[in-house]
Amino acid sequence: MKKLLALCLTAAMVLALAACGGSTSGAGSSASSEQAAAETEAAGETQTFVMGIDPEYPPFSYMDDDGNYTGFDVEICQAVCDHLGWEMKVFGVNWDQKLVQLDAGECDCIWSGMTIVKSMKESGYVISKPYFYNTQVLLVKEDSDITSADDLAGKSVAVQLGTSGESLLQEDLADLAATFGELVTCDSFLKCFTELDGNAVDAVFVDLPVALSYTAEHEGFRIVNEELGAEEYGIAFRSVDQVLCDQVEGAIAELVADGTYAQIAAKYPDIVSNLIFLNE
Amino acid sequence: MSFIAMVLKMSEGLGRTCAIFFLTLLFSLPLGMCIALLRMSKNRVIAGVTRFVISVLRGTPLMLQLLAVTYGPYYLFGFNVSRNKLIPVVIAFAINYAAYFAEIYRGGIESISKGQYEAAEVLGYTRLQTFMRIILPQVMKRIMPSVTNEVVTLVKDTSMAFTVSYQEMFTIGKQIANSQTSFLPFVVAGVFYFVFNAIVDYVMGRIEKRLDYYD
Amino acid sequence: MNGNKNAPIFALNNIRKSFADVPVLEDISLSVEQGNVVSIIGPSGSGKSTLLRCGTFLETADGGDILYDGEYAMKDGVYVDKAALRKFRSRFGLVFQNFKLFPHYSVLKNIAEPPMLQGVSREEAEDRAMGLLRKMGLEGREKAYPSQLSGGQQQRVAIARALAMNPEILFFDEPTSALDPELTGEVLKVIRQLADEHMTMVVVTHEMPFAKAVSNRVIFMAGGVIVEQGDPISVFENPQEERTRQFLRVFEH
Repeated sequence: MKKLLALCLTAAMVLALAACGGSTSGAGSSASSEQAAAETEAAGETQTFVMGIDPEYPPFSYMDDDGNYTGFDVEICQAVCDHLGWEMKVFGVNWDQKLVQLDAGECDCIWSGMTIVKSMKESGYVISKPYFYNTQVLLVKEDSDITSADDLAGKSVAVQLGTSGESLLQEDLADLAATFGELVTCDSFLKCFTELDGNAVDAVFVDLPVALSYTAEHEGFRIVNEELGAEEYGIAFRSVDQVLCDQVEGAIAELVADGTYAQIAAKYPDIVSNLIFLNE
Repeated sequence: MSFIAMVLKMSEGLGRTCAIFFLTLLFSLPLGMCIALLRMSKNRVIAGVTRFVISVLRGTPLMLQLLAVTYGPYYLFGFNVSRNKLIPVVIAFAINYAAYFAEIYRGGIESISKGQYEAAEVLGYTRLQTFMRIILPQVMKRIMPSVTNEVVTLVKDTSMAFTVSYQEMFTIGKQIANSQTSFLPFVVAGVFYFVFNAIVDYVMGRIEKRLDYYD
Repeated sequence: MNGNKNAPIFALNNIRKSFADVPVLEDISLSVEQGNVVSIIGPSGSGKSTLLRCGTFLETADGGDILYDGEYAMKDGVYVDKAALRKFRSRFGLVFQNFKLFPHYSVLKNIAEPPMLQGVSREEAEDRAMGLLRKMGLEGREKAYPSQLSGGQQQRVAIARALAMNPEILFFDEPTSALDPELTGEVLKVIRQLADEHMTMVVVTHEMPFAKAVSNRVIFMAGGVIVEQGDPISVFENPQEERTRQFLRVFEH
């Protein structure tokens, strides 16, 4: 819900910004961080990198019990800054206004479990390579005749309560759900799969990483080659900060290579399987 | 989702809740009597085994029994999981409640004095006639308050069918609560259960009153 | 009926019974002739009630014979045919100390149902029941439930219930012991009335004047044996055994 709401508001805002791009401080009108970096480096000072986060978006970014910002994104960003020799600061943005705040120079990036929306790129923001991937797929038995979502008409489909898959079927994919013979809501993935294996349902609507790990361990199942409700997370920079983006991406690539990335990811088991760099 | 839409959607599940409730009573009340009679059998092996079964049924959570009945055959023998979840749900509920009813019946039967059996015996009643005509009616009256308790509990326990993904009223309420990030469906569910039990109370009260024609 | 016309209606030969190795009845023999009233008296624990319970199959005797109309129900401590006991049960009626009416049945149903289960039509059974209630002085109480009646009334219903089966012999197990003293009279009056009609009866009782007045024969039991028996005059007024005299002395005061 919250994510969807944020998405809509962001989209609306981006449109508004694009509409009055000439007069106001559109993307790219503010001072480039590169220039700032060059200046500070010349002065022999350490560069400061201000990370814009939603402080209430666990496990990517949130405030821990001691009042410090933490989370997967925050820890990775810290590692990146350490790697590049930067000083890191965390800035909690108002999620509805995050791109405005980015443009205003209050932070140097938005990096907080942010879903990449097409309109962001269209508005000129520099968006990093996606690092977190999530999509819903259909898991069926190997001999099933279901090859696409269209084949689900009249069939029994299981989904886990509280997952994004379940919300999708109630909202964005409600039309699809209406064609099902029955939608069975289980309170655990194990039960979803048991229902499938025991022939009580014909398909399970599930997060791709979950389906992948299940098919890796169990024989006789197949993932329908159709992605439903796909979304990716990335880092947004101002339009002039392509170099900054490259630096961060380069540092992340090195953290992935030396294992630091995986080490940090291991602290967040819920999201590990969706991290693109670790599952390529 | 409007409040009305929410209530309507949950009402759809109410039919399934009622199905669990009535079918469970339909099967568990007589089954409980069979178990009670086995439990009181003069054959020590039968009585002992029955006693053990009752203690397992009463000593483990209904939720586990629901899982065992629904998924047990699949895990143990590779049988298909039932598509119509009402079947395993009612089986698990009926067996579980039968165990409780059995102990209530046993208490009731054992509270009837030996003299009633003797009087019936010398008057030529067969064992079956003695039980059906003399003992059972008196037992029924004595156990009504305990039975009412169980029936009220059953109304609330129906929500446990959620464990095996049976889409009864509370399950639907949970789904709505989740998607709407609202607590309201739980309030609605609470009201449903309360009204349901108010009706149960009324009906059981009437039955108790009808059985109260003698002291 | 394949019984012998001259045979006693009820006879016990050498009946023995122990509870947990404690002998309660030792070698008891007695017989009851058609139309006779036999009273069994004796101190508590003398085995009187156990004797009745063995004779009515509520307890199984360890040894001896039980005969109804000359027909063996038990021979040498073994029931001749367990399935046939029901046939014998229809020959006698038993009135308990504590009435043992069915509390959930109306008075009428208490009396009428047992014959109906034996194949008597409802109409006939209820007619018979109403007649018995009139005889017991309980006209108009047929719709009452046992708990709404006094003890004396309940015991009279119990007698009517036993009579409704048309028994050849009626056993009474201390029929007035559970009653308040002022209520015993109404029950004894009914039994006396039955005696006048030559109903064959065996009455275990503590009511000595009643036993003396109504019985054809009195049996004094103590310690599981029959100590003395005879006509009421000789037993009550000229007892031969010291044990009998000792027992009767208590009642004179």
